[in-house]
Amino acid sequence: MKGFPMNTSLVNTLLMLPALLLLAIVFAWPLLDSAWLSTQASSVLTGLAPTANGGANWQRLLGDARFWQDAAGTLRFAVVSVGLELVLGLAMALVLHRPGRGRGWLRALALLPWALPSTVLALGWRWIYNDPYGPLNSLLKLFGAPAYGFLTTPATTWLFTVLADVWKTTPFVALLLLAGLQSIPAELEESLVLEGASPSQILRRLTLPLLRPWISLALMFRLAQALGVFELVQVLTRGGPAGSTESLALYAYLNAMRFLDFGYSATLVVATFLLLLLLTAMGWLLLRRRPLEISR
Amino acid sequence: MPGSGARRRPAPGAALAGLMLGLVLILLPAGLLARPVAAATTVRVLMPSPFVDSTAPLVASFNREHQDLRIEVARGPLDTEAMSDLAIGGLLLGDTAYDMLLMDVSWTAKYVAAGWLVPLEGLLGDDALEAMVPGARTGNAFGGHLWRMPLTGDTGLLYWRTDLMAEPPRTTTELEAVSRRLQAEGKVRWGYVWQGRQYEGLSCVMLEMIHAFGGQWWQTGSGRAGGQTELDSPGAIAAADWLVHLVRSGVSPAAVADFAENESLQLFAAGDAAFLRIWPYAWREIERGGGPVVGKVGVSTVVSAPGFRSGGTLGTWGLSLLAGSPHPEAAAEVIRWFTGPETQKALVLDQGYAPTWASLYEDPELKRKHPLLAVQRQALEQGPEVRPLTPLYAQLSDLLQRQINGLITAEGSAADAMAMAQSQSAVLLESAAGQDSA
Amino acid sequence: MINAMPVPPSPSPGLRIEGLSRRLGERTLLADLNLEVGPGECLALLGPSGCGKTTTLRLLAGLDAASAGRILLDGDDISRLSAGDRRVAMVFQSYALYPHLSVADNLALGLRIRGMAAREREERIMAVLELLQLVELRLRRPAQLSGGQRQRVALARALLRQPRLVLLDEPMSNLDAQLREELRPELRRLLCGGSQPVVYVTHDQQEAMGMADRIAVLREGRLQQIGSARELYEKPANRFVAAFLGRPAINLLPAEGQRQLGLRPEHLVPVETGGLAARLQQREWWGHQQLLWLESARGDLRMLVAADQPLPETLEVSWRPEHELWFDSHSGERLAAS
Repeated sequence: MKGFPMNTSLVNTLLMLPALLLLAIVFAWPLLDSAWLSTQASSVLTGLAPTANGGANWQRLLGDARFWQDAAGTLRFAVVSVGLELVLGLAMALVLHRPGRGRGWLRALALLPWALPSTVLALGWRWIYNDPYGPLNSLLKLFGAPAYGFLTTPATTWLFTVLADVWKTTPFVALLLLAGLQSIPAELEESLVLEGASPSQILRRLTLPLLRPWISLALMFRLAQALGVFELVQVLTRGGPAGSTESLALYAYLNAMRFLDFGYSATLVVATFLLLLLLTAMGWLLLRRRPLEISR
Repeated sequence: MPGSGARRRPAPGAALAGLMLGLVLILLPAGLLARPVAAATTVRVLMPSPFVDSTAPLVASFNREHQDLRIEVARGPLDTEAMSDLAIGGLLLGDTAYDMLLMDVSWTAKYVAAGWLVPLEGLLGDDALEAMVPGARTGNAFGGHLWRMPLTGDTGLLYWRTDLMAEPPRTTTELEAVSRRLQAEGKVRWGYVWQGRQYEGLSCVMLEMIHAFGGQWWQTGSGRAGGQTELDSPGAIAAADWLVHLVRSGVSPAAVADFAENESLQLFAAGDAAFLRIWPYAWREIERGGGPVVGKVGVSTVVSAPGFRSGGTLGTWGLSLLAGSPHPEAAAEVIRWFTGPETQKALVLDQGYAPTWASLYEDPELKRKHPLLAVQRQALEQGPEVRPLTPLYAQLSDLLQRQINGLITAEGSAADAMAMAQSQSAVLLESAAGQDSA
Repeated sequence: MINAMPVPPSPSPGLRIEGLSRRLGERTLLADLNLEVGPGECLALLGPSGCGKTTTLRLLAGLDAASAGRILLDGDDISRLSAGDRRVAMVFQSYALYPHLSVADNLALGLRIRGMAAREREERIMAVLELLQLVELRLRRPAQLSGGQRQRVALARALLRQPRLVLLDEPMSNLDAQLREELRPELRRLLCGGSQPVVYVTHDQQEAMGMADRIAVLREGRLQQIGSARELYEKPANRFVAAFLGRPAINLLPAEGQRQLGLRPEHLVPVETGGLAARLQQREWWGHQQLLWLESARGDLRMLVAADQPLPETLEVSWRPEHELWFDSHSGERLAAS
């Protein structure tokens, strides 16, 4: 804003004020409120009235094996889900980007899973995974294979929650990356074609570097969503079997809505937020890096 | 992931903003639909969706017959836990739109401790439950007060196939032997299906089984938590051992580990199992479903280990008066009518609900028209099992579910799982005691 | 319309296009194009937008597929070769610089893809950078360059490839008018007169005349005329070519016998008597000349005269007979002088 009158920045600030205020109300305030509540005992045992208990909730959190297990599980879910979504989303975006007949309705169709409410979708997957009657087990039966407990095998059930999540959100990632692909002028690719580049070289040398900001956006957005995964596990597995798919959000929800332990629930919420902050900061630092120079 | 606080009046802020917002959004239309009628007192009741439908004609006739008192029913969700979330979401906001809530028996102590309920004995009299079947009276009082009036007398029951056996098994050994024989003969794919998913239904199954093997989950005592658990007793371990044995030996499908009521009922109704443990409502579902087992289903009380007494878990629904109701007397009158013998009789005839009044079990018309009545009475008189009456029940139930579900989906031993459940319960209760003394 | 002359069958150096066509469904984007461009010759494809000039360029590059026809480069049929195998360089209208790479890397990428050894690559890049005076800008990104600098980078990238054919798609259209004029001699110096043919697409007749050895005028996918700027100016094949070349545009006056008389504004002169009577409507004063807008009994006229020429409200206008261009008013074809 160099060279502009001094009050321009004041005007800018004033113009941004409503948005900042809104952000504060919907985001900062509840978070601060939770942070405060995490220093209070507030449960059925206190008649829900908050009474300061210092760092007791945080001390409990550090020693809570279930929290650490859920944190690791949530992280695993988020990293694998988002990783798959980015790869599949990119592939889908590349296909949708190709000119061709019926591309319009193909795009609309691709968005369908994303438009479905999570709970409806989770119920659908619950049926798909049903043992013994669901479609997947019917298919296994057709091939003479024994039924598989998609939702009753602690070692693998998380993978099937990932699959359901990937199915739902890949179209969203694809659409975002498609917008990115469409922002790349066609001549850039044509120029590389004239240089004799193969499709994979074009992808590596041109498309991916130019998609970087879009990939970052999708990554940050999806990572935040996946770390907060709730409805999907709540409906699909309820955190089972044996707590193996419980997410941090589900644990926080149980504490608040089932156990009426608001102090500890707030602690879990703040801890989840800090984890999210840490991860997105790490992701941002990683992706902020400029692409490597090819030559000096 | 921002947290949220509800207004701190009188409840503290709760976490999970989106969740709460969602609940408020569900609540709002219900409140908006409430049309005030001039000069009449309106009592608002929040109930799970199935109850809204089943009582709609009765409520309509009540409203026709009463000029000064109206009942308005708000539709809650179908799922019990979703219903609890909705109710709690509303209560946490402090400004509940309802006078009354139809509650599951397992919520009572928690709601009382949260200060959300009003004692009923002053409004309905100390003898309000006197004329009810003994088993239906349990689970309604806590800490010396009456907090809810039961509308139904549901208990866990054993469904069996009349085409495959003449008499239902009475013991766990019999049930297992019949199952194995039928499975070996190729009559059924599985013997016994029940609810093994990690959710409240599994706690109901476990509660029955612990008692069926001579143990008990909860010993009432003193302190804020109101007692202690006995999950590492021989009876409790034997119960867990039997359930896991059923799964590992193939009497029950491994899939029970993800079965809630729907899934287990589906499998039994398809004719793929000889026995099913479920609630009374399933009878109508099976009959209405028109599947291969229609007309071939008998209902009996749940089994016990040889030499022990059997008792189904009490799963009643009852009406409670919410603190903050502007007209408790009017609400009490509605509760009296809603849970009274006439309403219950109509519901038995219409819906096949299990009644709570002793007189209804003697009613010749009901006896003639409702085949389950005799076994429901028997189940209620045998002393149904009540889930631990403590504000910390939800936590106790949660950690037991995780242990049992883990046991039936993995390798461990029942003794280890129950020892773990017991120690975790003890830690939880101790921390409660610690807060108590603080 | 000028049809292609019979083509000798022997292999000849340079570019040779035979019956090149492109159709998309019902639409014909290019119809039966035949022409030749010699080694080192610069041919401008000139025409309004949609005339097929960019289509031709893309067919030559191999970016689009031809519906019919052959492209011969130094006698080799390259029609079937993929774009990457044609050794054709193209400068795009937008320059198509890779925004995420520095100037040096923009140049290096193609060589890397072709697997050139690092040492040779560096040498060639330095040589081109020096040729185009880009050495100091080599670490900048495209976003940090001016329009002219970007054009130079695009040019450098094209030359670096040592192509057998250079294609330029409106390379000046993103530059302001003054820069365009300044760059023309440099562009000519760098591109033309080498061994490779150059095809230069533009819609600007002045640019075409300034850059090209010959100009091919296209209209609606069909070649109208090909020849030197002077041939096109003096002997336009038809009314379209006559009107497209020359500014201000040629005057077209109705004449007897289904004909039209074409008179270029610069060929009109004021006379004392015996000319066509006209009335001055408006004038534009351009410094070195002035443009007059006249009204006459035979129609409106544009006339270019010396800047200091005094002019009355009414005047008489004449021209030399050899400047008359006669056209068939139906077909637009030029007719032999009457």
